Amino acid sequence: MSISKEDAVEKARKDLAQRLKVDASAIKEQSVEDADFPDMALGAAEGDEMSGQMITRGWRIRLGANGQTYEYRADKNQVRLYKFKGKNYRI
Amino acid sequence: MNRNNFMIHLALAVVLILIAAFAGQLNRWRKEWKHHVRLMPAAEKRQVSAAEEIALAEARHDRPELLVKFKNGVSAETIDAITSRLNDRVEDRIENDPGLEAIDDLDNADVGELVKTYSALPEVEYAEPNYEISLDASSYALVRPTDPRFEDQWALLNSGQRGGKEGADISAMRAWAVTTGSDKVVVAVLDSGVDYTHEDLAPNMWTRPANLAPYHDDELGTIDDENGFNALDANSDPMDENGHGTHCAGIIGAEGSNDIGISGVNWKVRIMPLKFMNAGGFGTTKDAIEAINYVIDRKKAGVNVRIISASWGSTQRSRALEDMIRKAYENDILFVAASGNSSTNNDRNPHFPSSYNVPNVVSVAALDRNDQLASFSNYGVKSVAIAAPGVDILSTWLGNQYEEKSGTSMATPVVSGVAALIVAQHPHISVDELRKRLLESVDPIPALKGKVATGGRIDAAKAVE
Repeated sequence: MSISKEDAVEKARKDLAQRLKVDASAIKEQSVEDADFPDMALGAAEGDEMSGQMITRGWRIRLGANGQTYEYRADKNQVRLYKFKGKNYRI
Repeated sequence: MNRNNFMIHLALAVVLILIAAFAGQLNRWRKEWKHHVRLMPAAEKRQVSAAEEIALAEARHDRPELLVKFKNGVSAETIDAITSRLNDRVEDRIENDPGLEAIDDLDNADVGELVKTYSALPEVEYAEPNYEISLDASSYALVRPTDPRFEDQWALLNSGQRGGKEGADISAMRAWAVTTGSDKVVVAVLDSGVDYTHEDLAPNMWTRPANLAPYHDDELGTIDDENGFNALDANSDPMDENGHGTHCAGIIGAEGSNDIGISGVNWKVRIMPLKFMNAGGFGTTKDAIEAINYVIDRKKAGVNVRIISASWGSTQRSRALEDMIRKAYENDILFVAASGNSSTNNDRNPHFPSSYNVPNVVSVAALDRNDQLASFSNYGVKSVAIAAPGVDILSTWLGNQYEEKSGTSMATPVVSGVAALIVAQHPHISVDELRKRLLESVDPIPALKGKVATGGRIDAAKAVE
């Protein structure tokens, strides 16, 4: 099923709230912008993932909480958390 | 004048009238002919740019002449007004193809400029020189397919369309005068699968020969690999759910000159679809290994699979994957891999599988339509072998569609396709010879100096010389 930009932001917000163990209302949407990512894992491959090396259009979502900024990357197929404590996560 | 002289003159006049009428009819036949190939003289064995092609065409005309296709709904009156404004005239309307007009230039303008002028008009679908035609193929060296969107395939013929650089292409038309590929050559597309029902791919898809036993894997059991192999779901259906693999397959081998869509680098080939990436376009190393294992098994069983095209990767090194690619080498299979899209130097920050130091690996960087390294492309004078067109590449997509995509993913199947042309021309070539021949078949590009090992763009015509 295709993911919309709004769905992606909502998924990202819920995911971050869970990870930080805070209420979703404490997560602030800083920016959501269209972006070209370098591959089909949106430049945020997990572990041993291999991905198609095709430029992929999606959205860069920046959320704020506890004075920090967190970056999510999404397209119609997926939402990923980029470099959270040094690691990427597909959510 | 006596009676005898009068009769002789009368007979001569009748003969001359008949010759003139016959010549006129020949001319009309020529113009009404629905071309399936266009061939040009073989005297030009060196690289021929699009400008030179146009110049060659021009030299063969008493006066410049164009074929212009106007869009549906553009009236004859509008066409006449346009041609008149440009000091041209419609010489002939091709009745069975409404909107297709043969146009005479009345002021001896440059044909290449005329093509550009007409192509830029909103009423025009396309414009091209009216090439001379000969049926003596043995002495000609340029072949153009009839696929309607061929003109959008700048990688195969860059005529300067959409701001590109004329001649910044792989010289496909000259290569096709030598070979258009072979259905005896199998290329494995290791990817998100392939839409094997796509109308431009279906005739070139590999299917398991009736005399070849189904694939058997000790863990997976027996799989009826009639259409290829799906390592992601461990079954026999490699149908693409993403589009990426279908795009790569079309670059290698969308059926050529079939009046449909685009042309692959190979007009004829056999694409073996392998699926290890999901609908999102990503997959695991383990499934990639399973799929390569399948290819090796089929090779050992007698399938002439000579090339694996791998438009994927990551920065994670895997000894197991490297070993499996080495197994492919030991079985005489070339492994063409994308260099990656992070704009980084692979000599310092390797990208896998393209950076594995295995003798069958060919790492591919991407070029844009101006012969510049694509802004996203990885490079590496030690670890990246060659470059190929990889920006705004038109190819097949899910549901009988066509889309333009960019990435070293798109450059990789261009090189895989050229490798398949070489194998079609030299069926017994070894994997070492094949790789060597590929790397020797480049056009040096200044922008690639110090960026890729060969310093050049793949040239299909050189590859099959």
